[in-house]
Amino acid sequence: MAEKKSFFVWMQSLDRRWIYLVVALAIIIPLLIPYNSDNVTTPPTENVYQMVDSFAGREDRAVLLSFYHDASVMPELYPMQIAIIRHCFERNIKVFFLSFLPTGAPIIDMAINTVKEEYPNIKSGVDYCNFGYIPAALIVPTVIGMGDNIATAVPTDAEGRKTENLPIMKGITNYNEMNLVIEFSGSTAGAYWLIYARPKFGTNIAVGVTAVMAADEYPYLQTGQYIGLLCGLKGAAEYEKLVDVFAAYRTPGEPLQPYIDENGNKIVPGRAFSKDILKQPEIKDLIKITTQTEAKFTPEEFELFLKSCPEKDQPLLQLAKQTVEGNIIIDVSKLDQDQLSPITWDTLNRLTRNTQYKFKVARVGMNAQSVAHIIMIIFIILGNIGYFLQKAQTTKK
Amino acid sequence: MSFELFSNLVGAFFTLCIFSFLYKDNPFYQMSEQLLVGISLGYSLVLTYERVFIPYFYQPIFLKHEWILIIPSIIGLFYLFRFSSKLSWLSRYPIAFSMMSVGASVALAMHTSILVQMRQAMVPIENINLALIFIGTITVLLYFFFSKAHTGVYGQFVNIGKWFMMVGFGASFGLTVMARISLLIGRIQFLVNDVFLALKQAFFG
Repeated sequence: MAEKKSFFVWMQSLDRRWIYLVVALAIIIPLLIPYNSDNVTTPPTENVYQMVDSFAGREDRAVLLSFYHDASVMPELYPMQIAIIRHCFERNIKVFFLSFLPTGAPIIDMAINTVKEEYPNIKSGVDYCNFGYIPAALIVPTVIGMGDNIATAVPTDAEGRKTENLPIMKGITNYNEMNLVIEFSGSTAGAYWLIYARPKFGTNIAVGVTAVMAADEYPYLQTGQYIGLLCGLKGAAEYEKLVDVFAAYRTPGEPLQPYIDENGNKIVPGRAFSKDILKQPEIKDLIKITTQTEAKFTPEEFELFLKSCPEKDQPLLQLAKQTVEGNIIIDVSKLDQDQLSPITWDTLNRLTRNTQYKFKVARVGMNAQSVAHIIMIIFIILGNIGYFLQKAQTTKK
Repeated sequence: MSFELFSNLVGAFFTLCIFSFLYKDNPFYQMSEQLLVGISLGYSLVLTYERVFIPYFYQPIFLKHEWILIIPSIIGLFYLFRFSSKLSWLSRYPIAFSMMSVGASVALAMHTSILVQMRQAMVPIENINLALIFIGTITVLLYFFFSKAHTGVYGQFVNIGKWFMMVGFGASFGLTVMARISLLIGRIQFLVNDVFLALKQAFFG
């Protein structure tokens, strides 16, 4: 007993720098050696996802993303922004951007460019519009003005083009169409939208906040004033998962880009949100964060996939296929990219379900977060035991 | 070495300078801190000039000749009289104008922060969560009612409010830990992926 006591007393007097070192190692090791862990999605995140997704392929609906933060909170907010932008680009959803902070403007550019690298067909002014920095003094006239006419409230975009002349504005006038505002902030998220836009125009508001601020925002979520909330890195990881499972999902043979079918209907690839799909065991294959190189097909799916590929690629794919337990597997790491047409290469890579690092940053981070939390809990328990033992010892003396 | 890798190395250097404070205060930390303040201010100044001064002052007045805008511009300049002991009273006028937006927000803020919140707290108590919200709201409000001493049965009742607040503070603390760890994860992800692995790739393939 005496030995245990001295250990806890020693813990009490431990130099805090050792604790910093242990926490740093608890974070570095899971980042260097990633593992596949699940991340259960919660209703506040699912609601944001579903609301955004309900605008898929629609000319008369758009989302506004407000970047009300600077670089200091980027580790928490940037992954959720990337995930939402990716969702919009995947599902052909019109998206607008603005920032009321000067230091928020370059983060918008960075986020758009990061996602756009993977979507060469997405065009500025057509699929998205960046209003850039709008001075904070103009928050109230801008938020209220957009309820009447967006092009009047923000006459030019960040590139100096007249907003009213941009193709993206076709079918978009005010909050009736741009019916969802998502604000990302490390402080008073959503306040202006909640005060000026929601009561007067009925705009749907959602927020992406740092975990510190989440406790302040939950009352508004509980009363339904926010349609949803993304809470820090966890919220970002949940959204990343939903995008992989639904928006970025492609069945073999399905085109990667939106297309017009024979009846003239616009078809947006991907699939709609469903709780049942999230419960399926196959989902584990879609949300792996370790590198995946094998595209797996059933024989029927492989036939469908072959039909969708250019003829010159088909013999190569036939040669590369392997049959394992009745399924057909193609390992892309054994193929030469230059020998295949770009469409086949892109589709094949998409079907490996190998998510690029930039689209799984939050999930990789959550691995480290879990380990760090366990370490913190151990420290708190040991610290408390030590404190009470020391207190008891002092009282005894 | 690519420009991206070079800029990442600069970022890594300053990240480590800031982390060095965890060991103890030192000149590298202080240099990085002051650079951050200076760069942020300089960047904001240039952006404000480009996105505020030019489109909202220079272009309308000097190019479009909207002379009426000179009046609010002069009132805005009154802010600078804060630095004059004799004429500092003039700076109160632009402040008074900017307070108009505060006035405009009062009614709407009451709707958002009080009326809607109250309405949602008055729903029928149909499940355990709503019962907890009801008890929590009443007891916390009474805890801050100081015209009656917190003694006897009343004191025990309002003490429940204290426990509700303790749970709230615990949740806030947990979320704060999560947030701080997330920031550290972000920085370490940058050091590991954008610097360490990029250097490895650049020099060892």
